[in-house]
Amino acid sequence: MTMQFLSLQYYLAVGAILFVIGLIGFITRRNMIVIFLCTELMFQGVLINLIAFSQYTGNLAGQAFVIFVLVIAASEASLALGLVILLFREKNTLDADAWRDLKW
Amino acid sequence: MLAVHSTVFLAEAGSTNYMIEPLVILLLCVAGGVGTLLLLPSRKQSPKLGGLLLAVAALVLGIILFRAAFGPAKSETGPYFWIFSAIAVFGAIRVITHPRPVYSALYFVLTVFASAGLFILMYAEFMAAALVLIYAGAILITYVFVIMLAASAQTPGDRSPLAGLAECDVHSREPFTAACIGFALMGVLLFVIFDKGDGLAAPNYAPPAAQQLSGEERVHGSTQSIGQYLFQNQIVNFELAGLILTVSMVGAIVIARRRVVGIDERFEPSIETISANATPVSDDPRSIPVYGTTNPRQKDFPQN
Repeated sequence: MTMQFLSLQYYLAVGAILFVIGLIGFITRRNMIVIFLCTELMFQGVLINLIAFSQYTGNLAGQAFVIFVLVIAASEASLALGLVILLFREKNTLDADAWRDLKW
Repeated sequence: MLAVHSTVFLAEAGSTNYMIEPLVILLLCVAGGVGTLLLLPSRKQSPKLGGLLLAVAALVLGIILFRAAFGPAKSETGPYFWIFSAIAVFGAIRVITHPRPVYSALYFVLTVFASAGLFILMYAEFMAAALVLIYAGAILITYVFVIMLAASAQTPGDRSPLAGLAECDVHSREPFTAACIGFALMGVLLFVIFDKGDGLAAPNYAPPAAQQLSGEERVHGSTQSIGQYLFQNQIVNFELAGLILTVSMVGAIVIARRRVVGIDERFEPSIETISANATPVSDDPRSIPVYGTTNPRQKDFPQN
């Protein structure tokens, strides 16, 4: 069963597009929950790249790396959402600009 | 097609037969940037024009890639790839442009499913299942719960599309700068991928590492191979992943716990309580403490 594998570049292009869209959302959105959602979007682009290279080179390190990325994403999401709830209780808004005074 | 070899930068690689002309990539990225800029939530700009522009750009890109992919090297998985990637990119754009966070989360689920489909096309069926289970099943449920916990009150009568939304959801921060930076990055990435990627064009067609096993032990697909790889080469990392999950679970509980500040009024001691319950202090381990006194060592005896 040798199904023709589509060229690697197309998968890399999809990964790059997803990553950039997530980056734009990370910069522009002001809701803290949506900001973290955009980091997950960037994770998606990276995961597609990892799987594509794993398929391309024929070894399994890329797929094993995807498992670890999923683990880190799950723990990051739980911690980040806990922090978001904490920040929401503090100022009663999800606006990231409400914490502007942390900049200086 | 537009003339390509107009700049010195492109003239260096002039003899290369491009899969996509670099100027077309540039134009598509500009169109995508303007479209995304118009689509981002705002009260002033019109989302319909941006959507139209993005749709035109996506159509042009699709036609070019379609023609390139069905030229010399035809692929059987091609149509599925186009469908899945179109769904993924559409969902991603709606994630960052929808003003309501719940819909953003739901469109992200769409993106997750589409990229799971892409994983299956690349013979990574276990990763696709894990992605759907963990992302769409666990992480996104957490997101939706947090969105509902942190929701602000809505006014029921208002029917306009941006009604009842917080100020931070309807106004983007620096949309022009972000679109410029993002789509410049996208243009460079796509150019590099399609220009320098030609040297990589000999992919491994077989499912990865299926040749390591033989005979009756071999199971169709790559899941068994991943298990063997994980427990032979990555065992320490695998255990560390479990440790990280445990630590982050404890950390999330500690962070999000509602702290009790001060003493509840009902348990506030009064002078009468102290004088009435002045029982002798006992160190009997079977004794239970009595709330409502200021003396922490004051205890009560079981009645039996």
